[in-house]
Amino acid sequence: MTIRVDHLFKSYGANLVLNDVSLDFREGAITGLLGPNGAGKTTLVSILMGIVAKDRGRVLIDGLDLDRDRDRIQARASIVPQSFAFYPTLTARENLEYFGALYGFKGRRLKARMDAAIDAGSLQSFLGKRAAELSGGMKRRLNLAIGLLNEPAILYLDEPTVGVDAQSRSYLLDRIDRINRERGTTILYASHYMEEIEQISQDIAIIDGGRIILHDRKEDILARRGAVTLTLQRLPGSLKEALDRVAGLRVEAETLVLDRNEDLNRTLAGLFDVLARHGAEVRALNWGNGHLEALFLELTERTLRDE
Amino acid sequence: MNRIYHLLKKEFLVISRDVHAVAVLFVMPMAFILIMSLAMQDLFTTQSPVRIPLLVSNRDGGKPATALLKTLRENASFEVKDIPATWSDAEAAAALNDDDAKFVILIEDHFSAVVRDRKPRTGRKPLVVLVNPVVGTQMQLIVQSVLANALGKVRIEVMTKEMSPLLELARIDPRTFRRPSEAHIEMRFVTRGEQRFRAPNAVQQSVPAWLVFSMFFIVIPISNTFISERSQGTLQRLRSIRLSRGILLLGKMLPYFFINLIQVVLMLLVGMFLVPALGGSALTLGDSPAGLALIAAAVSFSSIALALLIAVVARTTEQATTLGGLLNIVFAAAGGIMIPKFVMPAVMRKVAELSPMSWGLEGFLDILLRNGGVRDVLPECLALVAFGAVMLLLTAAILKKQFEGSVSP
Repeated sequence: MTIRVDHLFKSYGANLVLNDVSLDFREGAITGLLGPNGAGKTTLVSILMGIVAKDRGRVLIDGLDLDRDRDRIQARASIVPQSFAFYPTLTARENLEYFGALYGFKGRRLKARMDAAIDAGSLQSFLGKRAAELSGGMKRRLNLAIGLLNEPAILYLDEPTVGVDAQSRSYLLDRIDRINRERGTTILYASHYMEEIEQISQDIAIIDGGRIILHDRKEDILARRGAVTLTLQRLPGSLKEALDRVAGLRVEAETLVLDRNEDLNRTLAGLFDVLARHGAEVRALNWGNGHLEALFLELTERTLRDE
Repeated sequence: MNRIYHLLKKEFLVISRDVHAVAVLFVMPMAFILIMSLAMQDLFTTQSPVRIPLLVSNRDGGKPATALLKTLRENASFEVKDIPATWSDAEAAAALNDDDAKFVILIEDHFSAVVRDRKPRTGRKPLVVLVNPVVGTQMQLIVQSVLANALGKVRIEVMTKEMSPLLELARIDPRTFRRPSEAHIEMRFVTRGEQRFRAPNAVQQSVPAWLVFSMFFIVIPISNTFISERSQGTLQRLRSIRLSRGILLLGKMLPYFFINLIQVVLMLLVGMFLVPALGGSALTLGDSPAGLALIAAAVSFSSIALALLIAVVARTTEQATTLGGLLNIVFAAAGGIMIPKFVMPAVMRKVAELSPMSWGLEGFLDILLRNGGVRDVLPECLALVAFGAVMLLLTAAILKKQFEGSVSP
């Protein structure tokens, strides 16, 4: 199912959370929605799911307008919230049965949906345990399983791996990947974990300050070459003075940053000449491609994001 | 129906596994009913086993003084203990603090003379009562009245004795004058239906009061589950399942309505069987099960609606618990739950009329104490339903605003 977002605006009081967001999510793809804390990821996902009202703009899902066809859209979608959206005093089975029944399933159909969700989350061994007694990883799996009860064509995942160990994270990512491949589910995966987005997504959208600042296929994004960086073993004062005179070069602590432009080769020649004269030792060299984190930090700037 | 069934089932499972909720909804009111019924039963019984201790110093020693003492000893409400006539006022006053006594009665040495002369003397009165300051005004008035009554009897005895030759001539039996005045008084309790109890007792008063109080305490579990659902994202998930506000509210109201009804049945059973098993009086139910069901339903509706409003207004469970608890205490204190309305001054009785707990209490008293029927509880039920409807409308409006995202959820 395709998702089209046109000029979306949303604010909470004076706080503008989404500022003219427009993008299309590809049908059947996993789109990683990457952004720092407070970027607007959860709000965007909540609006697409129809549980938070937008201020302005239009959302079309498979041609259906969210304003007019919310019920039909919600019937075909599901959200796995960042928080553990289930009842801690109920067992895993009771939670699945409860949410399954609220989806409108009963009898054999309910059992079949529960079995499929149990299988997807590998919940068989702790179905009788109260949710509060489950480990962080198990809770995440239960959270995901509940989201799969209605076999959604669109799945919104909001930080689905927060607070879990490496094994559980790997398991969850694998499951999500399988759901996408086997069922063709369109998945919007909101996270601030770049390595997860890089691993699981086919498309990547970067959101910051309520705006989409980049949206493209993953391979195209990763193929983009960023700035060339050289990290020196040490940077004595005399060398710094000499480097300051090299055009097209920025010095950030022990790292030298060269912007990619037509003067790059000339700048590099000048730089190596200076380094050779001062006997400087290069610790690392990055040719500026294939690193999502570098691109993300470059796009969102390196300032701290306090929520 | 399947959805409603699962909403009910879920809420019952959540409540039954929440020790604090069970304690607040069931254990607390049971304890209140037991404690209040057993502790206060003597206030309502006419054959009181608990007697007011009196210390008496008979400094007179004459026959009228001895007759007064005899009258006091015969009164079942008092436990009379003698203190030496030689004690000074200070020693007698000190005995008030050393003993459990609340009063010391000093029968002064000129008591008999005053009674015989029937002439008021200047200076010290023939009867002096030293009062422990912890004693309330009501008890002071009771003692004062009993003493005045006893004094009257003694004076009549003295008079009839002195006038016996005249009475014999007139062929009047002197015993006519000595008959106790209580013999001329009959106390009748007025109920709307047939009276089902011998006399109003503590359990008949306590059960309705603490039952209403406990039903309103539904605010604690309702707000806790609602706020937890909101903060844990469960509410978000429920909304994504296309659960309307109406179903959401119904899903909260129905289970707690049943829980309120379980409270009613349980508290009535406690009053009927547990309190008498522990030595108290037994609760009688009256003749109108329909009236009882009606007032129980009305109290439940208003308490749940108030609880839902608090749940949507409060941002944290701490806020809800504080706000809900505070409101309940204020409603209970003002509404005659903690202090009976009949002991309140007129202004406070007017204030009490504003408390929904007062309406609920009056409704239950109509059925359990006054043996009324459906028609008798209709005014209270209407007031409770109107109150609940206003609370529910406010809840729905606030929830709508929150759902629409105009308020950050």
